[in-house]
Amino acid sequence: MPHDAATLDAAFTALSSWDWGADAKPLTTLDAAVVAAHGDQALRADLERRLTALLGSGASRGAKEEACRRLARVGSAASVPSLARLLPDRDLSHMARFALERIDAADAAAALREAVASLTGPLRIGMVSSLAARRDTESVPQLAGLLTADAATAAAAAVALGSIATSAAAAALQAGQGDPCSSTGAAIADARLACAESLRASGHRDAALGILRSLAETAAGKPAARQIELAATRGILACLDTAAS
Amino acid sequence: MSCHTVSRSFVRHPLSGPAGRPRREWRVCSRAAAVALVIACGAVRTHAADASPEAIDLVVDLLRDEDPGRRAIGVEAVRHGVRGAVATRRFAELLAQVDAGRQAALLAALAERGDVAAVPATTAIVAAATDPAVRGAAYRVLGTLGGAAEVPALVGGLAVPGAEQAAALRALQMIRGPQAAAAIREAAASMSQPPATRAALLRILAERRDRAALPLFVTAAAAEDGGLRRAALESLASLGGAAEVAGVVQAVLAAAPGGDRDVAERALVTICTTNPGHPAAAERFLTRFREASDTEREALLPALARVGGPGTLAVVDALVADADSSRRRLGLKALSLWPDASVAGRLLDQLGRTDDAAERDVLVGGLIRIAPRPDNGLNDAGRLDLLRKTMDLCRRDEDRARVLERANAIRTIEALRFVAGYLDDPALAQPACLSVVELAHHQKLREDHKPEFTTALDKVIVTAKNAEHVERAQAYKAGKTWERKKG
Repeated sequence: MPHDAATLDAAFTALSSWDWGADAKPLTTLDAAVVAAHGDQALRADLERRLTALLGSGASRGAKEEACRRLARVGSAASVPSLARLLPDRDLSHMARFALERIDAADAAAALREAVASLTGPLRIGMVSSLAARRDTESVPQLAGLLTADAATAAAAAVALGSIATSAAAAALQAGQGDPCSSTGAAIADARLACAESLRASGHRDAALGILRSLAETAAGKPAARQIELAATRGILACLDTAAS
Repeated sequence: MSCHTVSRSFVRHPLSGPAGRPRREWRVCSRAAAVALVIACGAVRTHAADASPEAIDLVVDLLRDEDPGRRAIGVEAVRHGVRGAVATRRFAELLAQVDAGRQAALLAALAERGDVAAVPATTAIVAAATDPAVRGAAYRVLGTLGGAAEVPALVGGLAVPGAEQAAALRALQMIRGPQAAAAIREAAASMSQPPATRAALLRILAERRDRAALPLFVTAAAAEDGGLRRAALESLASLGGAAEVAGVVQAVLAAAPGGDRDVAERALVTICTTNPGHPAAAERFLTRFREASDTEREALLPALARVGGPGTLAVVDALVADADSSRRRLGLKALSLWPDASVAGRLLDQLGRTDDAAERDVLVGGLIRIAPRPDNGLNDAGRLDLLRKTMDLCRRDEDRARVLERANAIRTIEALRFVAGYLDDPALAQPACLSVVELAHHQKLREDHKPEFTTALDKVIVTAKNAEHVERAQAYKAGKTWERKKG
């Protein structure tokens, strides 16, 4: 679809009063503009400014969600404050995270970390998941602290640390490793396996071996943790076999 | 990319399954990853770099472990990981140190591993193990990885009936290399082997399509042992060509009428009608026939007639025209064995000329056999027409009954009308009932002509003396299928 200023203006006007079930034409126009903004910094900034403004307006939830979707593609540090304000909103938190996970700016990660500190319950678990998606290394200490929180939060933090998979994340997981037969302990053990896997794949064989041997030792002799022991054994063998090839 | 990059999920996904067998997630991962695995593993196999001693030690420990889950990891590593001949030898050495169940599992893994370094230890297990499952697994390894040197051990396995024999047989079929084939031929020719073993080896050579074994088959076709002769003739039927015709002809002449003669004739007919180069083989057979004595000709004529062809027809025509009655009967018998309907005119003509009961029997028998055959060169209408003509020439009810029974091979409504016409004939109603239900068995034919079939089936229900025919007629009339009773 050809893009021109008048059409775009009309689309934003329509979007301000748009809601689910209405004609999707303004969205199609916006999508065409997003595509056209590739390599066109001025247009991209204009789109970001208008979309961000819509987030602070009295537009419907549907319109704000659609704005978040497009900010995920054209957003920058400039749109982070507006998106961050939506993070505590039960209805829009997930779409704000959707955008913040994808915006390539340190401010986006910082906003998520700040939200982790200020939010609780499922919303906080959402922030943890977004930090995992960003593989945000700076959040490791904060996530490590959550390993002693309630079971759901601790499991989410463990998964996030497993995804980040740095030496610091591995150390945090090791420190937090309790009984591998408990739900949190099993989640941490699984995250440690993932961590070891990533480390081995990136050439850190000894670090991976250390994690896996520690895991195998922790799980040894515990029938409920047998899967962890066997998975660790497979990992150890894979590490040793990697050494030969 | 290394093979291990793809196998990352070995670590990520611990286990599932009743035996604690590790999940092999790479099998369900993306197509790209699967392709990468094949490429990567192929590269590793090609280079076959030795694995680290630590990895080998760990696998050995796992294979010795009492925990089946840990053993499964070890067995999996033998199959697909921890490459190199050093590792293979270490794993194979374990065969002598573990119990029978683990030996069988390890042998299966070694066969899949595909490293010939496992062969010496496997051969030792064949000599030492008493468990049939272990010996069978060892034969599979030798069949997959072995060569000529392993043939004697596998031949030894043929002597033990059951699963072990089946495994040895399969291994001898699979074992690769020209030297291995030569070793099998040598064993098959050896008089020191029991005849049953030699017979099994001949069949293995035929299964391997080993044309170098053809002279061996010809020699064995004249063996004293009946089983060996039979195996040789069946192998010749599978592989033989023009060069083997003389040997098989000799086998036909040497065999007593009945079982052995039939096998030899079948081999000769197959060589001359089916195998590659069969026209040349048929020509050679005809030449050999022309050179034969009268006694030999009498023995060879049934097979020659089944081969057919213009050259043979000239020979048969001459015999039929011969003033000598025994030679004429030989010619008529040959006509009745013809493989297609091209001689139908001759058979009908001769039938119209003779009153000799024996000759009429032979000719009617020939027509009844040829007329409904689907491969006789006629269409359905032509086949039914020939059968009607044959019926008209029959003088005995038993021959007419045979015509009616053969008519159901022609699956048309006209065939139904033909047989249904005899349902009221007390002498022929029963074979007619049989053919009606056989034709009704074909659902499409039955459904396309439902009123006619219903009428005929009603008549069968009140006429048939065979309870099964009545039951079938009732089922077909009701639109149901009927399953033939097994056995």
